[in-house]
Amino acid sequence: MTEQKTPNRRDFVKGAATGAIGGTLLGMGAYSYSPLAYSRMSKVARQQADFGACRSVKVTSISETSWFNNAHLVGDIHAAGGLLVDQYSINWAPFGNGKGVAQGSYKDGIDSIKKMIPGDLEEAWATQQKLALHPDNAGGYSCLIEVEDLDGTKHKYLLDAGWSYDWMDQSFKREAIDQMLASGEIEALILSHEHFDHFWGFPVVMKYNNKIPTYAHDGFYEEGMQYIKDSGYEGDLKVIDKELTPIRPGMMAIKFNVPIITRVYGEVSLAFNIKDKGLVLISGCNHQGILQMTSTAYQKLKYDNDRFYGVYGGLHISPFEDWDPKYDDLVISLGKWDFERVGCNHCTGHLTAKKFIEAGYPVVKGTARFRTSSPDYLGNGDTITF
Amino acid sequence: MQVDNQAVSYLESRKLVKRWSGPWPAVVNTLLIFGFFYATWWIFQDPRGIMRMYTPYVGYMVCRWLLILFIWLAYIFDFWPFKRTWLNSAHPLLKGVVLTAVSVAAMLLLIKGFFIEILGNFGIAYFNPDRLMAMGLTDFYSIEYAAEAVMMFAAIASWLSPSWVVACENAPWQKLTQPTRGITIVIVTFFLSMIVYLLTMHSHMAILFYPWQQYTAITPPYWEGFANTVSGNFHIAWIMCCTVVVWVYESIWQRYPFNLIQTDWLRRTSSFFGIILVALCMCFFLYYAQDLVWGEAIRGTRREMAPDWRWLHVGETAIFWLVGVLYLSFYGGNWPTKFSRPVNVLLRTLISLAIGAAVYIIYYKTAHLFLGTQKGFSHPQQFPMIPTIWLINIFLINMWFMDGWPGWKAVPKTAEELQETRNEVVASDVRWTPSLGKGLLAGAAAGAAVYFAVITVLPWIGETVTIVK
Repeated sequence: MTEQKTPNRRDFVKGAATGAIGGTLLGMGAYSYSPLAYSRMSKVARQQADFGACRSVKVTSISETSWFNNAHLVGDIHAAGGLLVDQYSINWAPFGNGKGVAQGSYKDGIDSIKKMIPGDLEEAWATQQKLALHPDNAGGYSCLIEVEDLDGTKHKYLLDAGWSYDWMDQSFKREAIDQMLASGEIEALILSHEHFDHFWGFPVVMKYNNKIPTYAHDGFYEEGMQYIKDSGYEGDLKVIDKELTPIRPGMMAIKFNVPIITRVYGEVSLAFNIKDKGLVLISGCNHQGILQMTSTAYQKLKYDNDRFYGVYGGLHISPFEDWDPKYDDLVISLGKWDFERVGCNHCTGHLTAKKFIEAGYPVVKGTARFRTSSPDYLGNGDTITF
Repeated sequence: MQVDNQAVSYLESRKLVKRWSGPWPAVVNTLLIFGFFYATWWIFQDPRGIMRMYTPYVGYMVCRWLLILFIWLAYIFDFWPFKRTWLNSAHPLLKGVVLTAVSVAAMLLLIKGFFIEILGNFGIAYFNPDRLMAMGLTDFYSIEYAAEAVMMFAAIASWLSPSWVVACENAPWQKLTQPTRGITIVIVTFFLSMIVYLLTMHSHMAILFYPWQQYTAITPPYWEGFANTVSGNFHIAWIMCCTVVVWVYESIWQRYPFNLIQTDWLRRTSSFFGIILVALCMCFFLYYAQDLVWGEAIRGTRREMAPDWRWLHVGETAIFWLVGVLYLSFYGGNWPTKFSRPVNVLLRTLISLAIGAAVYIIYYKTAHLFLGTQKGFSHPQQFPMIPTIWLINIFLINMWFMDGWPGWKAVPKTAEELQETRNEVVASDVRWTPSLGKGLLAGAAAGAAVYFAVITVLPWIGETVTIVK
């Protein structure tokens, strides 16, 4: 009796062990990717924070040309070791040290110009032109945002500080940003992220107003925070550490925690609720992805007509005129969100703009002035009002 | 004097015995392996290091093709042209250096000679970066695109090449001598890989260029509706799962349960397609699991909310499990071994899953502190498969080429031990009985219950557990 039971029990255990793996695999294979599996997923309730409304938002593209020669920029990245290399080590101005590609450092660069910034930016940039890789290739991204309150009063904000001291100073003067900064007319600087082309022109802003309230993502690296200090900043630095930060009625900063190429972490983008029109999204580079921002805004914010009205800024799709099939997923899917106006530029890429236009999206064209290479999208000096 | 072309392969002919008792062999080898991993990572891959191949695609291509070359040399060519006498007598360090150097040389020859010069000049332009540059692409993206294509080919070969040995038992060429057998199987699996590449990856590459290359590839690709993306990452997902399952089946599963099939052709066919089926189950589960943890993917978004990234992450997650599987098999002595084979298989599966999960969590919590990468799951240019496959390559160098030195040494198997090895290929330790049938039913019910329990818990894990702050 016992002898008979033992093999039976052993066989049962062998079968059970085998069946356990088989049953689990069966569930995994037959159920996991089925419509039934997805029908049981609960819908996430929208939280829809009420952040007020504004009457209109006008954006002036001070500079969207972050660099002028794509081959030089990508060539430098390539020579330095690719897209994961620390931006401060590439040896770009203003952190060049004359030692060649990938041999740069924040310390070497800042030591060479610290005494000159922000007072003598011409000398600082001239110094760096002798030390850095392709210094004349540097441009920058920056835009002026004018928010009109419901009562008609206007408030100005600067999104990003660009890159080249020379180029940004010229661009600021072209759009009278220098005067607006000096007079305190611009209420705050919002640094979207730490990338060279959005942040390294910070001393140019300091040249005109080194006390301007400044917002920065809490993912800035040590070098970035030090650069703010070394540039002579004496104002109120607001480190954004929450997902949603109201700036003023109808204007919200949204923080995204995303790792980004050339060792940068996190981006802050802006959302505006335009009275009777809907939501407008403005970004520096939108490294989180425009539809990621859109879906976050859909979940987290309350806005008029519950519709997306417009978008402005870099959408970081094909910044180096590169491509990936996932970008086509975006081109195919963007239409579902039904934006009325798409004011893209900068790292969106000309190829993406071309594909948007072919897909019938309402891309706002530009005038291709001030070294913007194509009228496919809003260029330097162009404006858009939402 | 021993000669080559023996009936038993070198890896089957040897038994690895510990040089010291207790856990010391595993401890010493683990420390040395991680030291070697970090040194070589710094030299070859690290974005802060010397050669900086983690561009990312160049480094990705290299680590994948190295894996294939190791498999070819050890599994398909049975170390030809090296003689068995040399393999038995040379110092493991010397063997490690020589066999790795030969693999690297063969890899360079294959990438440069076949993919870039032959295929890229006479077949498909995107395999040759110079041709892309001549058409106006930047040098960086020309190299990245070409490396991506070559890398994707390797992903397929990393499944099909070992599968032919493990599942198909080298049939119908198992009786051929080396190098005829090796050359034949390489050519056949290479040919099959080419077909699978054209069916799965060519369309992905074709839509990298503007306009979509619709005269030479199917665009939009046929999987778009099913996978919710036009990206070939959908195929990377299931193909990487196939790669992992081949080694799970070969190592911790000891070819169970298909080795119970006594009819050769049926066992081989069942093994080959069974591996694919298991991989598909794993693939769909890992995708669904992400949807449960992070919320349903939204097409057109970027990073962890995007379907293309989630498919890629299926493959990445599978490779984390493979790290656990191979570590348990190589350095854990395939523990446990004292129960019946089905019970051992179940326990090893659970243990290796636990190791894989631990490696996954540790990787995402700490990799940015020492690999020159950034924290976060879905950096668009970071691929955890690069360090994990790099680590696996070092496992293989250590265990296949160096006989587990210094913790282990190779001794010839006895006749009984060789018979045991053969019994793993065709086994009879589990036979059909009514009790086995009842056990199967009860186990299947329990397995299904575990599955539904897991998918019930996953959304809660998504809300409460934070791996990357």
